Amino acid sequence: MSNLLSILILLPVLSALACYIVRSGAVRRLVVTVTGGVLSVASVALLLRGSFEAWSPGTLFGLSWDLIITVLDFALLGVILYYGFKLKSLFIQIFTLAQIVLLSVFEFIIVEHVAVPAFRADNLSLIMVLIVSIIGSLICIFGLPYMNRHEKHLNLQKTKQPEFFFYLVIFLGAMNGLVLANNILWLYFFFEVTSLCSFRLIGHDGTKVAVANATRALWMNSFGGLGFVVGMMLAYNAVETLSIAALLTAGPQGALALTGVALICFAGFVKAAQVPFQSWLLGAMVAPTPVSALLHSSTMVKAGVYIVLRLAPAYQGTLLSDTIAICGAFTFVACAALAIGQSNGKKILAYSTISNLGLIVACAGLNTPLAITAAIMLIIFHAVSKSLLFLCVGTIEQEIGSRDIEDMRGLYERMPRTSFLAITGVLTMLLPPFGVLLGKWMAIEAAAGSIWVIIMLALGSALTVVYWARWGGGMMGSRKPGQPSESLPLLINLPLMLLCIGAVGLSAATPAIYANLIQPMLSSAALAVNTTTGSLGAFAVYGLYIALGLGLFVAFRAGRRAPVLRKVGPYMGGANLGEDGSFNGPMNQPVAFGAGNLYLSELFGEQKLTMWVNIAGAALLVLMIGGGL
Amino acid sequence: MKYVILAFIGLVVAPLAGGLLAGIDRRITARLQSRQGPPIRQALYDVLKLFGKEGLALNKWQIICAWVYLIAAALACTLFFLQSDLLLIFFVQAVGAVFLVMGAMAGRSPYSQVGAQRELIQVLTYEPLLVLVFVCMYLAAGSFNISDILAVESPLLAQLPLAYIVLTYILTIKLRKSPFDFSTSHHGHQELVKGVLTEYSGPYLALTEVAHWYETVLLLGVCALFWTTNWLWMAVLLMATYFLELVIDNTMARMTWRWMLKYVWGIGLAMSVVNLIWLYAG
Repeated sequence: MSNLLSILILLPVLSALACYIVRSGAVRRLVVTVTGGVLSVASVALLLRGSFEAWSPGTLFGLSWDLIITVLDFALLGVILYYGFKLKSLFIQIFTLAQIVLLSVFEFIIVEHVAVPAFRADNLSLIMVLIVSIIGSLICIFGLPYMNRHEKHLNLQKTKQPEFFFYLVIFLGAMNGLVLANNILWLYFFFEVTSLCSFRLIGHDGTKVAVANATRALWMNSFGGLGFVVGMMLAYNAVETLSIAALLTAGPQGALALTGVALICFAGFVKAAQVPFQSWLLGAMVAPTPVSALLHSSTMVKAGVYIVLRLAPAYQGTLLSDTIAICGAFTFVACAALAIGQSNGKKILAYSTISNLGLIVACAGLNTPLAITAAIMLIIFHAVSKSLLFLCVGTIEQEIGSRDIEDMRGLYERMPRTSFLAITGVLTMLLPPFGVLLGKWMAIEAAAGSIWVIIMLALGSALTVVYWARWGGGMMGSRKPGQPSESLPLLINLPLMLLCIGAVGLSAATPAIYANLIQPMLSSAALAVNTTTGSLGAFAVYGLYIALGLGLFVAFRAGRRAPVLRKVGPYMGGANLGEDGSFNGPMNQPVAFGAGNLYLSELFGEQKLTMWVNIAGAALLVLMIGGGL
Repeated sequence: MKYVILAFIGLVVAPLAGGLLAGIDRRITARLQSRQGPPIRQALYDVLKLFGKEGLALNKWQIICAWVYLIAAALACTLFFLQSDLLLIFFVQAVGAVFLVMGAMAGRSPYSQVGAQRELIQVLTYEPLLVLVFVCMYLAAGSFNISDILAVESPLLAQLPLAYIVLTYILTIKLRKSPFDFSTSHHGHQELVKGVLTEYSGPYLALTEVAHWYETVLLLGVCALFWTTNWLWMAVLLMATYFLELVIDNTMARMTWRWMLKYVWGIGLAMSVVNLIWLYAG
């Protein structure tokens, strides 16, 4: 046990230091790849060992780890404060100072330091460790060749990759610590580490926009951190323990404690970029692709929803639970609507991420076993599919020099392999029998009993179809027979292929994932879900898989006929001229033709909607936190 | 054995019935316009003729998409007759709808691209309402499973009158009838030629046509669930509904997508919410 946990949390720290100190590219390549491999194996090994109730590390050179974490915590806040002064951001300074003061009061006056188990793992934690360690590692490995090309493109004199990989790899360790922590102070520490890392990674390129967006990310997350500290104090006040497990078994404990839980959830909301805090995640798009992939799919934002989901038993059956569901559902529909107005591919992915996180939060708020199952399914499958899509967009962007989906029209002609993977990614986000949709299906079924949530889910799910179908269809295109395929470096190709196989193949394992991982965890809630009918029907999944798989096989076989067909151009109501996209128009003049997407900007434009969405989101948040009192 | 027969009905009988219905549709429409109209089996003949034509496609994606559209529609229809879960059927038919759009976008043709965009807006308009109608049915019958819905003692229509009206809106959009026919522009040689279907031709057009028959039967099947206690009344309900569709189709002009989105979402959401509140209160 101790070995596995040290590997999962401390190995990334050591590797990160190695990347930082030894500045050679070959060493970095080796260290990151090996770390990724070891982490993946360790996460699987931890899963096989199964859940455990409590485990605490011993001492380091005679110092207790609790003390070390406390010292590191203040050091971390000091670093954040330093950046607050360096960037002259008043928000960061205020929020961080407040955190330092409150944390000192909490640590040195309020808390009686009794030993609390530092780590604990139930299946949710184990699943999260798997996602972080495997998907996160694949993204880091993808980053190796990507960053070389990225820096070549920027013409840097001196490479900044050591810093980059330092933060990228340490992120994985912090995330593993976060999802395994049982002592709430430890959770808080890892929470803050991810804030700092994401700040450094977003600002990595050092451009004006990057620095501005990184600053925004840091102040928003400091605000969340402040909420966390206050929430932690209130919760401690009621249950008088630092152990999260004890807090959860105690259940809802009166108004003040519930407000504390609400504030910790608020911190999770900020981290998961729920409205009105979506802007920091959108701004994070300026960073190199591996960063946005890591922030969006497997780490940062998942930490946010993890916290909300983790605390679910502590607010079960309260008004807070209902308001959390409504906040999440609102984010789901609002960000899906905002995504429709976008043509920037990365922004569509960002909005889609926030929207899906909203759905997960809504499921946590619905708080029935079915809803919790839906939330966990969504976390897993969203992580796989979304990281695939991010890495595809990054690869496409490096090739065509644009992230606009209008420029990806007919991309299949130029990049058949990547666009095929991207189209597959889109389909796995959208359609049955893939996991994300199964999660959505469960969510709708679970929400059928609460009118406002179900209306927002229905609207959001239709909006989702529009932006995905438009993008996926646009990437399809014609290829001349015999045209050579594109070639990709191995370390880019491999993660893409593995993620694609994972996105498609894992969905077939949903019944197994449910039976082995999710159900045992929920049985303590004494409310098992009926698996023979409805969205969890094993037959439905397997039967569907076979039927749709056969269908696809037939369709692709039919598609193979395409090259033998007579070559035709699109119908233009006049004679087509060659293949350059023009036709013989009036006065015998060539007229060029083309088509763009409809972005419905008068209804779903960012400028139009954002303000109202933010106002409504803020109001809902106030309702959520105040509702506990 | 029962399930084999039901699957056979869903897979084989349903599209034939849909084809005949398309023929009847054309006949009644012709009579409404004081024309004689084609024979009832004309729609079937047309599709058979299309299958005999030379296959033409812009690229392989189009062929794949046409096939997936057909297979998803057939699967959804079969699942319906097998009395499966309504939400499952909804999601499977959504596969077809999405692939139809993606196939239209696979080529560079502006007509089919614009048609695809408009079709997406149609999907956007009816999808949430369809989910809400299903949720209404769930609340009234206690299950999303069709076999349970068939077991209700009194017709659902009595509890869900507003949801049924919403369903007729969905039916009009899904059948691409005026005033909601702007993704295909019902007749050729209008502003969009044939919109989303412009680039499908020959056998591939035939595939989309058959898929459309499946969809028609599926939607009428959902309508039928509103009166399951008596066969006669079910038939009357379906005939009245379809006739209403024809009258609407023949008396309305084609509108714009802005109007559709605002009008149908406004009316549809309001009615669904009211009906939902009745159910929650009841």
